Amino acid sequence: MSSQITTTVSIVMVILFSIAIIGFSIGFATDNDAVMSIADDAELSSFNTDTRTDMTTFQTDANDTYQSIIETTVEPGSDVVQSSAPFALTVGNFVGVFKNVVMLPYKKIFGSGDGFGIFFTTFLAFLVFIIGLLIYKTWKGNP
Amino acid sequence: MSYLYDLPNATSGIDAIMVQTLNIFPALTPLILVFVFLVVFLGGITRQRMRSGTADYSAWAIVASLATLLPALIFSVQVGYIRLDWLVIVISLNILSAIWFFFDRKASEV
Repeated sequence: MSSQITTTVSIVMVILFSIAIIGFSIGFATDNDAVMSIADDAELSSFNTDTRTDMTTFQTDANDTYQSIIETTVEPGSDVVQSSAPFALTVGNFVGVFKNVVMLPYKKIFGSGDGFGIFFTTFLAFLVFIIGLLIYKTWKGNP
Repeated sequence: MSYLYDLPNATSGIDAIMVQTLNIFPALTPLILVFVFLVVFLGGITRQRMRSGTADYSAWAIVASLATLLPALIFSVQVGYIRLDWLVIVISLNILSAIWFFFDRKASEV
């Protein structure tokens, strides 16, 4: 299991990469007067705007959280800080944005219908079965 | 002599030949893009494995995705080369590769 910092960095980099690659493609189409532009795709275009807005919010939150980290005080005789607010950022703020980033390629490649959904449903069902088997074998040993 | 396909008109330029070929065989553009992706991806991991014994699959996936994006963007300049949905799929492939790449790194990398 990767650490909190590694996971957060990975999520931030994925989101920034998505913004960069979409921004570059839209800029390329604008500069070269291209016939086809991904800005013509309504879903991708709104995703781009939403993600940029979310990242601006994250920027403000990150600054506030950093401020709360350096202003944290530990009472004499106490082993912990008074609240867990300094550690509240990271994944919590990102779940929505990251979910959008992941769902966009999925919807664009596999479609939003349930035609391909049976694949993932079956695969998840298989994983659940394997987990159940592992729990049983850990508890009871090989049947 | 009868041909299987209508021959493109070669007097109006090489881009017209390409567009007329695509009118007859619309899957040519996606096939070219798949070809570019697979050449870079499979060629890269094979060569790296021959040189060092291991291959960085996620890094080659993102390199191959970016190598696919460049011809796709160039195709988008002229009408008739590429459809919007294929362009969007190439962008989606880039994002998927990025997810794989960044989550594949260890704490000491990136």
